[in-house]
Amino acid sequence: MIGIRPDATELGDARRRVEELVCTIPGADHQPFDQPWELRVFAMAVAAYHSGHYEWSEFQLSLIESIRRWENGEAGVPWSYYEHWLRALETVMSSKGLLSEAAIDEEAKAVLAITRNAKHQQKAQRDPVAVSRALTT
Amino acid sequence: MAATDTPLRTQAEITAHVKALEALLIQKGVMTTAAVDRMADIYENEVGPQLGATVVARAWTDPEFKARLLEDATVACAEVGIGGLQGEEMIVLENTDTVHNVIVCTLCSCYPWPVLGLPPNWYKLPQYRSRIVRDPRGVLAEDFGFTVPDNVEIRVWDSSSELRYWVMPQRPEGTDEMSAEQLQALVTRDSMIGVGPAATPAS
Repeated sequence: MIGIRPDATELGDARRRVEELVCTIPGADHQPFDQPWELRVFAMAVAAYHSGHYEWSEFQLSLIESIRRWENGEAGVPWSYYEHWLRALETVMSSKGLLSEAAIDEEAKAVLAITRNAKHQQKAQRDPVAVSRALTT
Repeated sequence: MAATDTPLRTQAEITAHVKALEALLIQKGVMTTAAVDRMADIYENEVGPQLGATVVARAWTDPEFKARLLEDATVACAEVGIGGLQGEEMIVLENTDTVHNVIVCTLCSCYPWPVLGLPPNWYKLPQYRSRIVRDPRGVLAEDFGFTVPDNVEIRVWDSSSELRYWVMPQRPEGTDEMSAEQLQALVTRDSMIGVGPAATPAS
């Protein structure tokens, strides 16, 4: 199969633009995403920047600060690179008056409540939930 | 200062936290879901379905591995270094000449993300979740342009948080000479959800 240069596509362009931003961030040389939420936080931070809500340098500084605090004493907490992104994004958004700690906590509780109640706590389904029989043999 | 000063404990709690943050930022007009999706799409393949594709290609070329995979997918995946399942059980469903499998989560969006990455948006939408159960043959044909032959039975499997299904598509014809590595490229995400066949090799 003929390969397409990954950077010669529209997606490649978009990705290169993101990487120009990201390469200015400490520790971001290549941090794989292990969990879906990590990609979500990453995407949110970049999207909020693109919508003009902060300067990238503000986000950078918050991230550096969060990592520094971890290095200085939160070492008991396991290292999670994207938790620092989460914290940095919240810090920047709070400083713009767009978020408050209480609002996030309240919303997170609501999300968790939905997860526990409405979501899948029923017994695992070990048979198909639907079958469409063959129409002919 | 920030709400995250207390260490976040479980992945479920962090996930809820991130969802909450996104909901609030969207409410405040800081961003739209579409903008976040667009950004996430760029990187989707980083957590994407390559792992699942590797496993399927291996099973196509290694009958003993295939037997182990169908027997216990969690153990077989661990064997090739795929974990992160947090105790969840995984079952791989094999498509055959007479049975086609497709997965759904009827209540939310349970998805075998350690092998398939993030679920596509349509997988999470109520339309897919309800319609695929009511009319699997019709949905596959109309929404996915995938006509399952009339002599093939379609089984729809409902994933939950404790048991996640995914599909092993049939190996396409004309691929006998291909290595597992080459085959891997044919195993699409949709084929492992069951809404399409594996890709055929480019001529």
